[in-house]
Amino acid sequence: MATQIVMDHNGDTRHNFDANDAEALLKAEQRFKELTGAGFTAASRTASGEPIVRRTFDPTAEETLFFPRLVGG
Amino acid sequence: MFEKSLHIANGQLRRLLADASRRGQAIRRWYRESGLNEAEMRGLRLLSEWLSPEQLAQYHARNYFDVTGCHSGKRYRIRHGTATNIYELDSAGRPRVGWCFIPKNHLVAGDVMLAQKIALETDESAALRVAKKFPPTWLAQ
Repeated sequence: MATQIVMDHNGDTRHNFDANDAEALLKAEQRFKELTGAGFTAASRTASGEPIVRRTFDPTAEETLFFPRLVGG
Repeated sequence: MFEKSLHIANGQLRRLLADASRRGQAIRRWYRESGLNEAEMRGLRLLSEWLSPEQLAQYHARNYFDVTGCHSGKRYRIRHGTATNIYELDSAGRPRVGWCFIPKNHLVAGDVMLAQKIALETDESAALRVAKKFPPTWLAQ
């Protein structure tokens, strides 16, 4: 089961989907495009645990984290 | 013989699960007693999943963790908080300058710190381009 984690005021919202299900995968890709299009950054982790930014949807990523655009505080 | 082994393994698994459950309850109780709400707890859980073992140990011990900027190799200290909580360190580990950049939407502290960590470790230059500098008044080592 793959997961997309979206940071929000509740901490985060998790969307689990079966990466072997074509329809679920399409929905996950659509969510990826919507969020990154809205300024969110998508990140996942390498096998050694280091974060990596994803510019395009990776259907093999087990976990993708989305956080909002960064601004000066 | 096989049944006996299975019975022993079953008992060990039950004890392991009970222990994990007790630890989980203890962590939840600790967070609640610290006055954190569910969203804040969720944010800290997510942060702890993404920190390296060294960063997590440092955060638990000192309430901050260090990251290395992916472009400059500079060391930054991210202190627990939601703003004005990042310090660029000098070669002696002293805060040299403060940097403030935060996610646009309101997020809990764990999420803010995680976004800051990922930004510095994957796209340091872009993060610093939007960041505002502030004088480093915090002196914790």
